[in-house]
Amino acid sequence: MAAISVRELSKSYRIAVKRPGLRGALGYLLRREQREIAAVQSVSFEVAPGEIVGFLGANGAGKTTTLKMLTGLIRPSAGQAIVAGQVPFERKRAFLESITLVMGQKQQLIWDLPALDSLKVNAAVYEIAPREAERRIGELAEMLDVSDQLTQPVRKLSLGERMKCELLAALLHRPRILLLDEPTLGLDVNAQDAMRRFLREYNQRHGATVLLTSHYMADITALCARVLLIHEGKLVYDGSLAGLVERFAPYRQVRLELARAVEASELRRFGELETLDGLSAVLIVERARLTETVARVLSELKPRDLGVSDPPVERVVGKLFLERDLAAKLAPQSGPGGSQ
Amino acid sequence: MRRYLRVLVMFWRTSLLSELEYRLNFLLALLSSLGHAVGNYFALSLFYTGNGSLGGWPFFQALLVMGTFTTLSGLSRVLLSPNLARIVEHTRTGTLDFVLLKPIDSQFWLSTRRISPWGIPDVLLGLSMIGYAARRLGLPLSSLLWALIPLGWSCVIQYSLWFTLASIAIWYVKVHNVTEVLNGLLAAGRYPIDALPPGAYRFVFTFIVPVALLTTVPARVALSQATPGWLALAAAFALGAFVFSRAFWRFALRYYTSASS
Amino acid sequence: MNGERVARPNPLRRAYVKARALCAASLANMLEYRAEIYLWVLASVLPLILLGVWARAAESGAYPRSSVEFIRYFLCVFVVRQFSFIWVIWEFEELVVSGNLSHQLLQPLNPVWRFLASHASERLVRLPLVAAVLGLCFWFYPRALWLPRASDVLAATALLLLAFGARFLLQYMMSMLAFWSERAAAIEELWFVVHLFLSGLIAPLDVYPESVRRLTELTPFPYLIYHPVNLLLGRGAPFERAALVLAGWGGLAFVLQRWLWKRGLERYSSMGS
Repeated sequence: MAAISVRELSKSYRIAVKRPGLRGALGYLLRREQREIAAVQSVSFEVAPGEIVGFLGANGAGKTTTLKMLTGLIRPSAGQAIVAGQVPFERKRAFLESITLVMGQKQQLIWDLPALDSLKVNAAVYEIAPREAERRIGELAEMLDVSDQLTQPVRKLSLGERMKCELLAALLHRPRILLLDEPTLGLDVNAQDAMRRFLREYNQRHGATVLLTSHYMADITALCARVLLIHEGKLVYDGSLAGLVERFAPYRQVRLELARAVEASELRRFGELETLDGLSAVLIVERARLTETVARVLSELKPRDLGVSDPPVERVVGKLFLERDLAAKLAPQSGPGGSQ
Repeated sequence: MRRYLRVLVMFWRTSLLSELEYRLNFLLALLSSLGHAVGNYFALSLFYTGNGSLGGWPFFQALLVMGTFTTLSGLSRVLLSPNLARIVEHTRTGTLDFVLLKPIDSQFWLSTRRISPWGIPDVLLGLSMIGYAARRLGLPLSSLLWALIPLGWSCVIQYSLWFTLASIAIWYVKVHNVTEVLNGLLAAGRYPIDALPPGAYRFVFTFIVPVALLTTVPARVALSQATPGWLALAAAFALGAFVFSRAFWRFALRYYTSASS
Repeated sequence: MNGERVARPNPLRRAYVKARALCAASLANMLEYRAEIYLWVLASVLPLILLGVWARAAESGAYPRSSVEFIRYFLCVFVVRQFSFIWVIWEFEELVVSGNLSHQLLQPLNPVWRFLASHASERLVRLPLVAAVLGLCFWFYPRALWLPRASDVLAATALLLLAFGARFLLQYMMSMLAFWSERAAAIEELWFVVHLFLSGLIAPLDVYPESVRRLTELTPFPYLIYHPVNLLLGRGAPFERAALVLAGWGGLAFVLQRWLWKRGLERYSSMGS
């Protein structure tokens, strides 16, 4: 049975419109205009237990809204979501004990007390026996490397340490399903790395299903075999990350070390010129024409060195975010791990 | 000087704009002020059953004091409370640094950044009380106008007290509500100083939390009963308190800038 | 899958475990804020100021109570007020506005228990200072010192607990408005104005004109301050009527709160993050 099953999930908001300036403010006082926004439109997907799935999308694309609909915090306008066999919005006890939500910038730990105190409260709330709770705290603290930080007041911890303690608190009740919203936001490189390693280890050890949103590509590439690309509220891609790159950026980078200086216009005959710096050049070449172009470059330019690589994922996805009407341009994707 | 005036206008304009976002606020503030004014008037009247009185002051003279108090409290809601909330927030979130980096005197900035229209009903009601009492007492307009001077001093004293206490929040955020203690004590300003028992009460409320100077002195001036002693005390206190608030602020800043984290 | 769990003990024991954990954390937290709490104690000195004013005015003998009786009255009002102040509306509003309510919604515990725990622990922290202030007052006015009868104290405590329950439920119900307005706490300010003048805070209700006095008896306010204080003073109060009125208002508030909570959650969930 799928851990998460989503069908035609949609969410629209109505927001008030206000004009700037004093007159606008007074007008607003008397009468309000409203506008409807479709944040999420007919999203459907399934996640099997133990999968790690990434939600990708520009700011405001609808990833956080979708995630919150899975937690029951937001009620869908249409469609259906079944998480851990329950309807999230009903927030039954069995459901609440199976999931956890970690939000990057928001926290649940009591600010002025040591994290351990908050953990004790959580243990009581989830009815975990004290000895068992101690064991789990020990295990998680070791995995997260925060054993010493648990006894310091939360406000004295660095952001990275705080996030780790938040994670600990969120996982104390061993939820089957982890939902993470921008978990590495604001963390330094090491902290981000540590969190990714931890999530991987946790997933392997306990078989928990992980769904995370992020706009740090490094999170996605490190953790997710499968990504869901949400763009302007619609699910436009559901499959592997490699497949995403293949589909949307079917080109390669060709790096050249030239033997002699060459004019930019000359280089552009072979493909798009990304950079030209003295004798080093980077060309963007369509995959379909890669072999032919490389052959021509080798014979005509006789470079000292030539290398072919994938374009950086960030750039690919970043460009995607900028495109309008992406969904209309694509044939729909379906099924986990599906790609062309 | 002109720059400060421009900045002031800008502050208050943006402040008002953001406050008008919350249209419910005004209605509620109005109702609240009305309720307090009616209740205070009623509470005052309770003292005057039979041959009771407040320190020998006739009812309408005591109403002058009550009106002054209401006006001052309204002014404090207009200018002091919104800014205090901001100071606390600044200290808590660390954004005080931005204020200190601006090419404008920080005390000015912190004291005038926000203005709230929600205290205006209080001010109007207070002035109405004073007006009504003055009518019933047959006070000439000139004496009311003279009373504006000590009222000005009262504003300065109230501001200085408040700002000094707010500066303490810079040190120790957890005592941010120390100004609430001030507000609580200022409640004694509802009544003429003679209404308080002689001894400890009168001492505290004349020299420590000088409500006597805040409300009784302006009322006495309006009644043409003020003595030079009291006037001198009020003026001196106003000056002293303001100078002290400034010095204390400088002191607090020195501490703050040398102990940042 | 959720780790070891012994055969589930009875619900009372489970509730006790949770309550103890909540209260322990709450108390630790409140102790961190004791400076602020002590200042709140000092900020609510209105009864002590009124004490002075009324004591002096009563020397003329124009009122139904003597100076000493006024002093005792306001001392009791001071104490009662310290332990009946409720702030759940601000706490709740902050949770809604900041979005942190989401965390509590995702845990299998009704948020109301956390609020109750924080109120209970805050009272405990206030206790020493309130006792100190009381001691100071008696030192200033030794003639006012008296010891209430044990039965009076019991009755007053019972009534005060009921009053707390009713008032908490009423304010908690009003907190639900935070789902619709960012200034729900303003309702409490209005409530406070009425409470200030009708509950006996500013003066004992027996100095009120008869007509006004009868009006106040129609509201729950006198039962929050005036009657419990009269009980403490040994002057007696209509206990059964008070209990009924408070229970009635509390029950009404409870029902309304449940309804508003459901509707409010729907709205909260449709507003997004």
